[in-house]
Amino acid sequence: MTPQNHAVRIAEMDKYYGTFHALKNINLEIAKGEKIVICGPSGSGKSTLIRCINKLEDYHAGSINVLGTELDDNLDNIDEIRRETGMVFQHFNLFPHMTILENCTLAPMLVRKQSQIEAEQTALEFLTKVKIPEQADKYPGQLSGGQQQRVAIARALCMQPEIMLFDEPTSALDPEMISEVLDVMVSLADEGMTMVCVTHEMGFARQVADRVVFMADGEIVEEAAPDAFFDAPQQARTQAFLSQILGH
Amino acid sequence: MAKTYQNPNIIKRLRADYFSNRTDTTLTLIFGACAAWALWNLISWGLLNAVWSAEDRDLCAHGSGGACWAVIDARWRLIMFGLYPYEEQWRSGIACVVMVLIVGLSCVPWFWNAKRISALWLTGFGIFYVLMRGGYFGLTPVFEQNWGGLSLTLFIFATVSLIGMPMAIVFALLRRSELPWISNTMGVIIDTIRSLPLLSIMFTFAIVLPFVLPSWMIGDKLYRVIFGYALFFACYQAEILRGGMQALPAGQEEAAKALGMSYWHRIGYIVLPQAFRNALPPTINQFVITFKETSLVVIIGFFEILASGNAAFGNSEWNFAHVEVYAFVALIYFVFVFALSRYGAYLERRMAVAER
Ligand SMILES: Nc1ncnc2c1ncn2[C@@H]1O[C@H](COP(=O)(O)OP(=O)(O)O)[C@@H](O)[C@H]1O
Ligand SMILES: [Mg+2]
Repeated sequence: MTPQNHAVRIAEMDKYYGTFHALKNINLEIAKGEKIVICGPSGSGKSTLIRCINKLEDYHAGSINVLGTELDDNLDNIDEIRRETGMVFQHFNLFPHMTILENCTLAPMLVRKQSQIEAEQTALEFLTKVKIPEQADKYPGQLSGGQQQRVAIARALCMQPEIMLFDEPTSALDPEMISEVLDVMVSLADEGMTMVCVTHEMGFARQVADRVVFMADGEIVEEAAPDAFFDAPQQARTQAFLSQILGH
Repeated sequence: MAKTYQNPNIIKRLRADYFSNRTDTTLTLIFGACAAWALWNLISWGLLNAVWSAEDRDLCAHGSGGACWAVIDARWRLIMFGLYPYEEQWRSGIACVVMVLIVGLSCVPWFWNAKRISALWLTGFGIFYVLMRGGYFGLTPVFEQNWGGLSLTLFIFATVSLIGMPMAIVFALLRRSELPWISNTMGVIIDTIRSLPLLSIMFTFAIVLPFVLPSWMIGDKLYRVIFGYALFFACYQAEILRGGMQALPAGQEEAAKALGMSYWHRIGYIVLPQAFRNALPPTINQFVITFKETSLVVIIGFFEILASGNAAFGNSEWNFAHVEVYAFVALIYFVFVFALSRYGAYLERRMAVAER
């Protein structure tokens, strides 16, 4: 195998929901270790795009290659890619019938075939990293939103993925809990994780992103380094969007 | 202004709940009197004036004014064991205890994993079958045709649940398959069977099926009926489970997919445990109904407990004592069904703690 220098390569990709053209000719290449922030108006296809990367959604034309594996209909390839990509959802999606620790150890034991002891050790490590090791024996329903989202991050990390996908991880949180989640994401970025984040946290984008991708109506309208993106947006739709969310 | 709340004492509470004004007081007195009168009659009939011993049969035949429990004393073995040979009834008795034991033990959370629960049921069913059927270890063979009473009722209930539940899970999964021809076919099968009366299904499996099946597939009538009943159970339970699955947010399966979990892992660890939790009350309900409807097997000639009860007073010697026999059989049903409902309530509390 030739060494891969890209983590994700999406080429001429199209996606339909029935007759609705949800993603139009998407081309996006993400290097290993790169941090991408995707933003854009609601309904522009951001979630659909990152959910295509681990095949939570089908796509209909073009190609997606993740870490050298072609994402096609081959189930083995899909499994392979899902093992190597972690995902964090807007609504956490923790398993409510399992303790925090069980949430974190389940997939490593089933998918990575780790022993229980090994999985629990890793889980506690990552729970410590997201600063809630003391909640290990509680159930998700007993935690605050911010804590649940940090558990969700730890749960994804326990699979030791190469790439992390975040779909609006802070949008469902009360304002005072947003920073505790962003802090975890920043430290993850500092460690060199490849990250694709759909978020409207512009402070986070400026601080962490290597590149900001702006989407509208199912298209990638503009991509640029954060400073250029925020200070000198090129496209009219980008300018309109930025003035709306930045409030000027 | 801080007030501390004090639990009112019992007199105060009674007064507030039952004697708060003239209408309340009147109603309380009237209904209280009725209830007391009914209770007194029940006690004096069922306990004070009752005849207990089989030797006193003549006494109750001529009217003691009380219950004739003598009939139970005289005929309890017929009620409990049906047509099972008299000298071998101890086997049926132990088999009953074994069956109650495995059903009871499978309610204990410690047994809730595939290995333990299957070991339990395999051993339990093995012991039950060897005891009842005989033919091994010097036990005289007793054919299924002669099984009866409580052990037959328990056997039918347990076997129907044991076969029906996995079938229900498979049906429910097929019903929600992404391939329309599978889910639609399953839907038609489920709806068809649900729209047939249980009685006609049992009848078909017992009487009609032997004409269409090759002889090696026919098996004993009892097992055919049980299979038909299990199919019926599975169709209802599948819909119950499907409801439980639909209540799951889509995010649950997506999260499991994103973690790389396979279809069977997602079903086994994420979907089914939560579906069963969501569907617990109707599931317990389904078990209760299944237990009670075992009595329908009488139409194809099996003497489960209710039919054995009928036989117990169905001769000139005891034909005046049917109320007492039915009361006794009802008590047995009550013990099992009540235990089942309480167990359901316990499970709900247990899960409420986990998901608080
Ligand atoms: N499952 C679906 N079925 C049909 N249309 C969908 C579905 N999911 C999303 N869409 C549509 O696709 C478009 C993009 O959705 P989405 O990717 O969720 O946008 P975003 O995340 O940017 O808000 C929206 O117009 C939405 O209505
Ligand atoms: Mg979205």
